[in-house]
Amino acid sequence: MADKTNDPVAMWQNMIGEMEKGFNSFANQAMASPEFSKVMNQVGGATAGAQKQLSEMMEKYLVSMNLPSRAQMVGMAERLQSIEAQLNEIKAMLHQVHHNSAAPADGKGAPKPPRTKRPPSAEGDTK
Amino acid sequence: MNAPAGVDLAGIPDRIQSEVQRAIQRSIKGVEYISTSGPSLGSTPKDILAVRGTMNLYHYRPVADEIYRVPILIVMATTNRGYILDMVPGQSFIEFLLKRGYDVYMLDWFAPKPEEKRLRMEDYVLDFIPDCVRRVQQDSGEQDVTVIGYCFGGVLSLLYGSIFSDGPMKNLICFTTPIDFREMKLFQNFSDRRYFDVDGLVDSIGNVPPEMILSSFEMLRPASRAASQVQLWENIWNDEFVKSYRMFDRWATDTLPLAGEYFRDITKDLMWDNKLFNGTMSVGGRAADISKIKVPILHAVAEHDHIVPYDAARHLIPKVSSTDKEEVMLKGGHVSLVAGANAIKRLWPKLDSWLGGRSI
Repeated sequence: MADKTNDPVAMWQNMIGEMEKGFNSFANQAMASPEFSKVMNQVGGATAGAQKQLSEMMEKYLVSMNLPSRAQMVGMAERLQSIEAQLNEIKAMLHQVHHNSAAPADGKGAPKPPRTKRPPSAEGDTK
Repeated sequence: MNAPAGVDLAGIPDRIQSEVQRAIQRSIKGVEYISTSGPSLGSTPKDILAVRGTMNLYHYRPVADEIYRVPILIVMATTNRGYILDMVPGQSFIEFLLKRGYDVYMLDWFAPKPEEKRLRMEDYVLDFIPDCVRRVQQDSGEQDVTVIGYCFGGVLSLLYGSIFSDGPMKNLICFTTPIDFREMKLFQNFSDRRYFDVDGLVDSIGNVPPEMILSSFEMLRPASRAASQVQLWENIWNDEFVKSYRMFDRWATDTLPLAGEYFRDITKDLMWDNKLFNGTMSVGGRAADISKIKVPILHAVAEHDHIVPYDAARHLIPKVSSTDKEEVMLKGGHVSLVAGANAIKRLWPKLDSWLGGRSI
């Protein structure tokens, strides 16, 4: 089989790798300039501003359409989150009770192994 | 026409045949790729110990007959999902630790909800991590806990360890953790205080969207996504390559949003004022100077890390007060240091040999 120096496929792969490195290096140099930062942040700032205006308009539109606003949905989400948290607490408590009473076959709640392990190379080392 | 020097003319028919077969395989496998989902990730059996908003604490079920006394709490980076450390059986750092007899817990993150935009650095360092440490202590029955922090999870762990320097953290392991944020040159330029209006951004959009986080990571190597897709097409006949590509690609694009106020704190305190490096960092009014850390510490850094360059990470070990401290530089990049074939050979055995004796 041809070695990597004369294998056209390997040469192609190598060329792609070199192009990637070259482009990354060139782009990194360009992106390190203060001008790039200025333009990038101007564009980013304008996008964020437009997003804010759009969300305010949407809020007014939803109110006029008698649909729940974002704030109302967030309120609902907070209540759901609180219910979820309480369910998780109950689940954890049930898990604890289950753990104390039985060891089912799936391993959940099974007795924990003893904490007596020593590293194979340094038995008795109590660093 | 003469062949160029070094070209093996006799091997060309075989090479053409092999390429034709691969082209056919590419077409078949390409259809398979589009019509199927990737491997199931993060499937090591675990129990959820606590969920509170963005905070999510798991306990992985031990598999060894006996385990080390000191449990491990892994603190994941807030920008990414924890399954990078639990990809698939045989390529899972979690599975490796469990088989080696460690008791493993993970503090992973859900995407912060819009109403969690008010979370600040102190919520992570003075509330979520101490709460998880307490729960690990309760669940394991042990007072001592080893903390492992990956990337920004390492920064959070360092801040926690600086403030709670009297315990209960027994050992600290950081992977690719930045200290000197001036050395993260491109991130510095993207967040140049003359042009980057972090207040305007956070005030207007709340949580920082994952697309913005992902594009800032991708901008560090802008050609790499296109090149990796070319590589995928070339290797689509190779099931192992495709499996690996899908795992890492899914994880890399599964970026989390950042809570708005937390992002503001990171930008101002770390990116602009470099307070962690300068020793002037405080969290919730409490000084967080990493020179207060005295516990045994291991810092693993990657030779080719383009996200946290070595110059940003190298100050950790000199700055802590621990007498038992070690930095290890391994071949690989920011992600391949901790996951994939490279990590299996290098980081995982190193970590096991360092931590075993310190976990009894």
